[in-house]
Amino acid sequence: MVLVDSVHKSFGAVAAVRGISFELKPGQVAGLLGPNGAGKTTTIRMIAGYLLPDAGRVVVSGYDTVAQPVGARYRLGYLPESTPLYGEMKVTEYLDYRGRLFGMPRHVRKPAIEFAVSRCWLKEVRARKIGTLSKGFKQRVGMAAALLHNPAVLILDEPTNGLDPTQIRETRQLVRELGADRTMLLSSHILSEVEKLCDRVIVVCAGKVRADGAPAQLVRDHGNSAKYMVQAKGGRPGDDDRLVRLWSNLPYVQEVVRTNPDKRGEVTEWTNWVVSSKAGAPDLREFIAAAAMQNGTVLRELRTEVITLERVFLRLIEEAETPAKPAPAEPLKDTLTPSVAPPTGTVTPGPAAAKPAEPIAGGAR
Amino acid sequence: MSRFRGVGTIAERELSSYFRQPAGWLIIAFYLFLIGIIFSMFVLQPGQPASMRSFFAFSGWLLLPVAPAISMRLIAEELRSGTIESLLTSPIGGAALVVGKFLGACGFLAAMLAPTMLYIVLLDRVSSPRPDMGPLVSGYVCLLLLGVLYLAIGVLASSLTSNSTLAFLMTLFTILALLFVNNAAQFVPDFLKPVVFSLSLVNRVGDFAKGIIDTAHLFFFLSTSAWFLFLAVSAVELRRTR
Repeated sequence: MVLVDSVHKSFGAVAAVRGISFELKPGQVAGLLGPNGAGKTTTIRMIAGYLLPDAGRVVVSGYDTVAQPVGARYRLGYLPESTPLYGEMKVTEYLDYRGRLFGMPRHVRKPAIEFAVSRCWLKEVRARKIGTLSKGFKQRVGMAAALLHNPAVLILDEPTNGLDPTQIRETRQLVRELGADRTMLLSSHILSEVEKLCDRVIVVCAGKVRADGAPAQLVRDHGNSAKYMVQAKGGRPGDDDRLVRLWSNLPYVQEVVRTNPDKRGEVTEWTNWVVSSKAGAPDLREFIAAAAMQNGTVLRELRTEVITLERVFLRLIEEAETPAKPAPAEPLKDTLTPSVAPPTGTVTPGPAAAKPAEPIAGGAR
Repeated sequence: MSRFRGVGTIAERELSSYFRQPAGWLIIAFYLFLIGIIFSMFVLQPGQPASMRSFFAFSGWLLLPVAPAISMRLIAEELRSGTIESLLTSPIGGAALVVGKFLGACGFLAAMLAPTMLYIVLLDRVSSPRPDMGPLVSGYVCLLLLGVLYLAIGVLASSLTSNSTLAFLMTLFTILALLFVNNAAQFVPDFLKPVVFSLSLVNRVGDFAKGIIDTAHLFFFLSTSAWFLFLAVSAVELRRTR
């Protein structure tokens, strides 16, 4: 339905989009997610035909947006980011004007306007001037204009930008309804919005697609480590080293970090830890507990930090924005390393972690 | 002609938008007020010949600020508010947008000049001998052609910037340059002098004032306007590739 194929776009020396590719299937509701300046709006503008790509191609319902722009535009409804409208026009006048721009004859235009007005909950303001409407209503007018010619594809750029919470809720409800019977691509930098509205998420950063898939799949594929927050009773000499060694040797454990400060010469009664697992690891809580028991350590807290799409998103953005760094020369502060671990400041699991999954001593069910 | 599909829709909206905003009414009021004073002071005087020559001369000069004021927002405002994005993602092309906007502005200019036709009726009633219709017709043709050219320049200026004030100034200075280009003739080589003189608006307007409608002048005004519109279409389309 929408094909974006290796699209590039630069503004002077700034490369805004660097080879973005994806395809939207009919009926799919996809979210283009990324931080500000990621290239979302430029990508959307190229799909809508407002900008021409420097390289690559965009095809909407079989029409190339460069070679057959008119055909593509008839099949596409577009709501630009700031919902630009003519404030001096009345709602129905504006919709009538949009219908005429799309070449809709009067007998088609009138029922289409009625449908759009009712679908976007604009009945109460239909005779009012757009300039006097609230931002939420203006957003709905923009959406009504976008779907007036019944396009197969609807593209919404930041549809809830600048709205208050009530308006955001109403707009999301409307987007959900509109997405029920058409292909939709919406861009946002608000993760919860994309998560709630879309069945597919395309994460864009620095002009490239960093991840693409269903929200649950992204969490699975890019969730990498789960984190376990542990509070253990300390106070005995050598406890910390022993705990680190035991937990680090568990399969799938990637990193063990003590989070509360280790004041020199002071005995800390309760110590806090974060144990991170590798991607695809099973739930490690019982094994962490068993290892602590093996050391004779009392645990007061052991909980998993739920991996959300937000964490996946932040990690992807962080990875995209951070160039590869050389390993630090000194161990990181507050990170304990077992005697066998490399001095990278990060505790890596021992040889057991390299083996395939196997029952863990003391943790077998 | 698919390039011009939607021209009528754009022109109609543009024309109506002038009358939806105070600025449109103010421009008409400003023009009619000043031109009314000119008419009563210089044309409607006892013992004067039944001619509207002074009326047309002052009207021509009044177009100097009025035409840029009409055209300055045409595309600049669409660029500033972002509505250009909705327009250029609809099935109409840049050519339809520019020509539609231009025709809407021309419609407004015609609406502004239309009430002055009453002056002809008035002059016809009170003068003896009755006024010669030839110079009157050529005077209106000249005013319209000047207005069309000024508006075309204004459309181009408006397509180059999102700042209406800047568009106004660009239009004004370009018009002034075309009006006084013959003064620059002394500074150019001899072989360029005919070109400079041919660009001068003052020489052409003089012929119209005498009641002469020369097809060469008609062609000049219309083709120059078309050239400015072509540049404006290119400026709009170039925005897609910037």
